[in-house]
Amino acid sequence: MNVRLDTLRECLEGIIPGHIVTCDPAGMPNVAFLSQVEFVDNEHVALSYQFFNTTRRNVLAGSPVRLLLTSHLTAAQFRLSLNYLRTETSGPLFERMKAKLSGIAAHSGMTGIFKLLGADIYRVLDIVPVAGRTLAPPTPPINCVNALRRATDRLASCANLECLLEKAVDCLVKEFSIGHLMLLMHDEARGCLYTLASRGYPQSGIGSEIPVGSGLIGICARERSPIRIGFMTSEYAYGRTVRDSLAAEGKLDALETAIPLPGLPNAASQMAVPIAAAGRLLGVIYVESVAFLHFGYDEEDALVAFAAHLGLAMLHHQQADDPLEDPAPAESTPLPATGPTLTIRHFAANDSVFLDDDYLIKGVAGAILWALLNDFVKRGRTSFTNKGLRLDSRIRLPGVSDNLEARLVLLQRRLAERNAGIGIEKAGRGRLSLAVTRPLELVES
Amino acid sequence: MLDQDNACFIQSGVSITLAGHATGRMPSMSRGFACKLLDGGQRIGIALPRSQAAEVLENVRLSGRVAVAFSRPTTNRTVQLKGVDACIVDFDPADEDLIRHHVDEFVPEVVALGTPEEMVRALLSYTLDDIVMVVFTPSSGFDQTPGPKAGEQLPAAR
Repeated sequence: MNVRLDTLRECLEGIIPGHIVTCDPAGMPNVAFLSQVEFVDNEHVALSYQFFNTTRRNVLAGSPVRLLLTSHLTAAQFRLSLNYLRTETSGPLFERMKAKLSGIAAHSGMTGIFKLLGADIYRVLDIVPVAGRTLAPPTPPINCVNALRRATDRLASCANLECLLEKAVDCLVKEFSIGHLMLLMHDEARGCLYTLASRGYPQSGIGSEIPVGSGLIGICARERSPIRIGFMTSEYAYGRTVRDSLAAEGKLDALETAIPLPGLPNAASQMAVPIAAAGRLLGVIYVESVAFLHFGYDEEDALVAFAAHLGLAMLHHQQADDPLEDPAPAESTPLPATGPTLTIRHFAANDSVFLDDDYLIKGVAGAILWALLNDFVKRGRTSFTNKGLRLDSRIRLPGVSDNLEARLVLLQRRLAERNAGIGIEKAGRGRLSLAVTRPLELVES
Repeated sequence: MLDQDNACFIQSGVSITLAGHATGRMPSMSRGFACKLLDGGQRIGIALPRSQAAEVLENVRLSGRVAVAFSRPTTNRTVQLKGVDACIVDFDPADEDLIRHHVDEFVPEVVALGTPEEMVRALLSYTLDDIVMVVFTPSSGFDQTPGPKAGEQLPAAR
């Protein structure tokens, strides 16, 4: 094969349908148009199986398959010879194609008609360029490989998880020129993802949650596979649609619903990339744009590689941030509290915490804050260790993969956003300090 | 066999793909650049460039079997015609307006879906001496528009 499939992936975005030809056993050729061809690797493609039609009958009857692909950027055409291998009806590849097809269907007015029944996997036997005039490819908006190099370089300078997450988001904005994004962490015990950082939205949505399996982000998490859509489709709008379906299923109680999930109401391009390391899902990077086809295969590759690097670094820092057995620093004298009294209300049923009747957070992060504030009010304590929090029976962290560091970052950010006179800060490796500037009243409800 | 509606449709700004096959059922295909109705619609002519279609032309020359699909990008309306008597004839330069007309109607169809006009015109650029015509009598025709009617035989002309 003279042409590598990974050099012509723009032909697979679904802008110009592929033309597939087969031949029946009686020797009559057949032409059909393919909504979607998915790159699997340099030797394999997956074609969307949507209808049981003549093409499928011919393929199952052993017809050789030829495919004509056209680049919507350069007008270059390629003829591929394919050999059918198998059909997948679930799993990462199927979900990737299902999501992408939903966008393609919406773009071509075929919502409800284009429905993925299976992902037909073919071996690519041959790729031949077709003669004809072509255009120079347009200059890409960014150099993805260089952006990746710069971003991973910058991550390497971080000494703790908080810095790493901050820098990761910063790199997505500055190096990858992504205007709207979220970084979500995986809560394994509760089967959901919570937003730890975002950029490009009126409200940060820090603390908002989405269940694994729901919407584009949730499916990406469940399948541990990047999912990318190039056209606006209501089927994968996550915010309201997902919440409505959860409400219908009676699953909202377990989920953080007081904090709205951020997101563009009119996103045309969406991509979710899993952050995983050592066989564990750690989180998801979600990016979106109002422009269609804003993220291509190259951007997907770069973010997948970035997420892999980030995942290993996150794992490293979560382990490295475990407390050391060094002596505790002397308690700093709390600043004199001034201003009106801040009433903190805690509801033990779900560990939700309200500041002056305004909801702040619930769950593990709520339990942590309530424990810190109790120790502060009763004993004047302002210095805490990760180890102490892990052993604290009031907090009930869910086992080894407790994501404590990430939960502390979440809590720190929610408190900083609220700016109500309570803050927590890192105070060295495995340590944090609590700063309270207003008189507090704690109310257990 | 074509009714008036489908006869107009296949001569409008649709994507045209012509397929043949070699021994061992190996199929081949090429883009068509225009469609012409001959003998009062009894036969169909598809214009296409030799330089792109050498393989399918050779297959058609040997077997006479051909399938041609016509699809309108903005609606996905699709029709396929098949024949067993296909032959290759010279393209009459006087018919060049058919190609120009086809391209001019096809361009807005594809541009509407976000593809630049320059790209569409490059895709369907040609030199006249490269064009030949495959002529066949449709022996069967199918509606291939995605949806409940996909695969149905086309209505016959009255």
